[in-house]
Amino acid sequence: MKLNFLFRLIFLILLFVSPFTFSDLLIRNATIHTASSEGTLMGYDILIKGKKIVRIQKNIINNTKVTELDAEGKFISPGIISPNSQIGILEIELVPETRDDQTDIYSAGFTIDSAFNPFSTLIPHNRSAGVTMTISSPSSGDVFIGLSSAFLLNGSLENSLIKSSMAMIAEISSGEDSRASKILFLKDALIMASNFDIDNIEASSAQLPSNYYLAIRDIEALRRVMNKSIPLIVKADRASDILEMIDLSKKLDFRLVIMGGKEAWMVADEIASNKVPLIIQPIDNIPSSFNSLGARLDNASILSKSGVQLIFAAHEWSSHNSYLSRQGAGIAVSYGLPWEEALRAITANIAEVFNLEKRGSLKEGNYADIVLWDGDPLEVTSFAEKIYIEGVEFSNKSRASKLKERYLN
Amino acid sequence: MNFLRVFRGIGLTLSLFIPILFFANQESPFSSEYRPKDSGFVFIQDAKILVGNGEEIEKGNILISSNKIVSIGSAVEPPPGAIIYNAMGKWVTPGIIDIHSHMGVYPAPGIRSSSDGNESTSPTTPHVWAEHSVWTQDPQMPLALKGGITTFHVLPGSANLIGGRGVTLKNVWSRSVQGMKFPDAPYTLKMACGENPKRVYGSRRQEPSTRMGNVAGYRKAWIRAQSYKNKIDEYNAKSSEAKELEYRPTRDLELETLVGVLNGKILIQNHCYRGEEMVVMLEVAKEFNYKITTFHHAIEAYKIADILAKNEVCAAVWADWWGFKHEAYDMVWENAAIVDQAEKGKGCAIIHSDSSVGIQRLNQEAAKAMAAGNRAGFNISPARAIRWITINPAKALGIESDVGSLEPGKMADVVIWDGNPFSIYSKTEKVFIDGLLKYDFEDSLTPHATDFELGIISPTDNRL
Repeated sequence: MKLNFLFRLIFLILLFVSPFTFSDLLIRNATIHTASSEGTLMGYDILIKGKKIVRIQKNIINNTKVTELDAEGKFISPGIISPNSQIGILEIELVPETRDDQTDIYSAGFTIDSAFNPFSTLIPHNRSAGVTMTISSPSSGDVFIGLSSAFLLNGSLENSLIKSSMAMIAEISSGEDSRASKILFLKDALIMASNFDIDNIEASSAQLPSNYYLAIRDIEALRRVMNKSIPLIVKADRASDILEMIDLSKKLDFRLVIMGGKEAWMVADEIASNKVPLIIQPIDNIPSSFNSLGARLDNASILSKSGVQLIFAAHEWSSHNSYLSRQGAGIAVSYGLPWEEALRAITANIAEVFNLEKRGSLKEGNYADIVLWDGDPLEVTSFAEKIYIEGVEFSNKSRASKLKERYLN
Repeated sequence: MNFLRVFRGIGLTLSLFIPILFFANQESPFSSEYRPKDSGFVFIQDAKILVGNGEEIEKGNILISSNKIVSIGSAVEPPPGAIIYNAMGKWVTPGIIDIHSHMGVYPAPGIRSSSDGNESTSPTTPHVWAEHSVWTQDPQMPLALKGGITTFHVLPGSANLIGGRGVTLKNVWSRSVQGMKFPDAPYTLKMACGENPKRVYGSRRQEPSTRMGNVAGYRKAWIRAQSYKNKIDEYNAKSSEAKELEYRPTRDLELETLVGVLNGKILIQNHCYRGEEMVVMLEVAKEFNYKITTFHHAIEAYKIADILAKNEVCAAVWADWWGFKHEAYDMVWENAAIVDQAEKGKGCAIIHSDSSVGIQRLNQEAAKAMAAGNRAGFNISPARAIRWITINPAKALGIESDVGSLEPGKMADVVIWDGNPFSIYSKTEKVFIDGLLKYDFEDSLTPHATDFELGIISPTDNRL
């Protein structure tokens, strides 16, 4: 018994001590990609105290005790944010018992927070490649898929979740039912929710088809869309679908984000003038369905020229390799997107669109979610050498690196 | 056989030719009809060249004549009348080869009507041939061409233990699959280990539902093939007089393919993720005396890299895919590098795509795998890593005497890149197949639009 207790104590101490080095940090002489209006700063220092960035300038004079790190020839960027993944709620796609990203019980109000597993192997894997935060979401459903929440990839049982149920996801063009019917239902459900009368549930639910059940939880979530406390992310690739959704968001007055957007370039001006942010996979130019015949690699570049705010995700919304959004960002650059805009699309723009305060860019006062790279952060041959989340350094060990060490020798 | 009766009595001289004619018809239906037009002289000047054989030329020229590479080096001069391409500051590589593609059999758009890659109605279907499913108007093919892909190998899917014949294609537009077929490329046979076959058939309460069921399935098939082979061999060994007195063994479409493997004419391309399963497959190959050319999707190849190198089996891998199934859980980023460096650099690593997105940038996938290897302490140069997407897949497909490196006598499949192909920012500028310019970034009429592209978005324009 005593021994057991001792082990537990040691384990707890190790748990708290080992990955965390709480001393303040001064990184010198780095190329700092701020992802803010400051752009890229060459030969700058960055001072981190506690969880925050306190100063970014040249030749910081510091009198307090800090760990100093010379980053001459290195590059610093904000940690990459995965804008839509199942990190923490899925371990292996084809092993159903490792998946918590789907439900038959709820729809619009399905929040996945309680299923989040901070010990998932996907967390250190993506973190070691530069991802510091994920917006994790349920993956499929009929029209209303559910709610997204933001988590830090710090592997913490207590402090992973930083923003719960902060966006709703819906789709209007999968499956065999007519998209027209799905769009009608989306509209009717939102109107019903905003007029919902808890004292007269029967009259309220009579406004919807009887075969589609919405629980009170779902209706409450829809009300949050209608009172604009959360955005509605709609998956749509086809140009006409995107315009329909813009039209609906204006009529009903909700905040719209489009996800997919393979044909968005065709309606770039309409998207820009209505200030609708777009989550796309810039690497994917395959006309993989009749909804995406216009797919092309300069989609991002065309949209950016029109002034659309862009967010980039990895191919097929990959959770295991969410970090590959940076490969897509690099490809977008090679097809004409300005480099700084590409970096913002995997960092700052995500924080802005989803109101993740003090995240996504390197500014004084922001959380120190930063990555030190051995080369250009968008280059496929570059590696994340050091990763900090809220000022805490994480090793770049993962299951993959342990397997490598075992078999390399 | 009718002809036996027809020709009986014509005489010994003529009857000697009959088996040859018979074999010609039997062994090569659907043969290649790809005939490139004469390229004349083409001269690429002042390029940085990754040759594909491991060498690198800092500043060199390439002379192409009538579809073939004639010479390469810094002293090569252009003959009069040559079309000259100045490649100063640019990089040149052999045409990129993807050993694992489903273009044509799983074309875009991905709809049920043209989903033709898996004959998942029986676990053993060596009688089906991927080429009979290929839709030549798949819009994925010209996209791959823009990524430098000049040759690709189309496989049946992995639902079955033995999935059918694969086919090697030149990435050229044609109305027929024969018009794309790589001349004289050996046939291949797709086999699959692990989760897929046992999931597909197990869920129907049918064999195989386990990995041991998988292995029993392969062995049962090879036993049948061996006995068919014996029958054929016995017949062939008979004197021509004796042959006249009996019928040739009846053709069997399934077993002909398997016997082709046992005779070393058809190359095994084996989908297999796990280390121990690959070793089991090597034992099955030993038991029935055939060779496995390549393990595909070999996520765990790094665990058995020395065994693969000793057995001269290639591993075709992704740079970083993992986790979509349990057998894909043990990824390492250094997989290709560890395979490459095994047994003092004798390993055969290949980067493959299995994806219409990945096939457009195998150079970047190789770059990631090379960088991971170097970070782990290897010293792998671009000149070596380019082999993972050129000469190594060519070897594994049995076409290395024709393609895979820029050496005299080989087909002039050449890519000019606007920079280092191992950088995210580099793109292809020009892609030549057999010396003919098939993609030119300055010519919007290239690559040749497939029928699919025409008028499908706007009635007046092509898709892109």
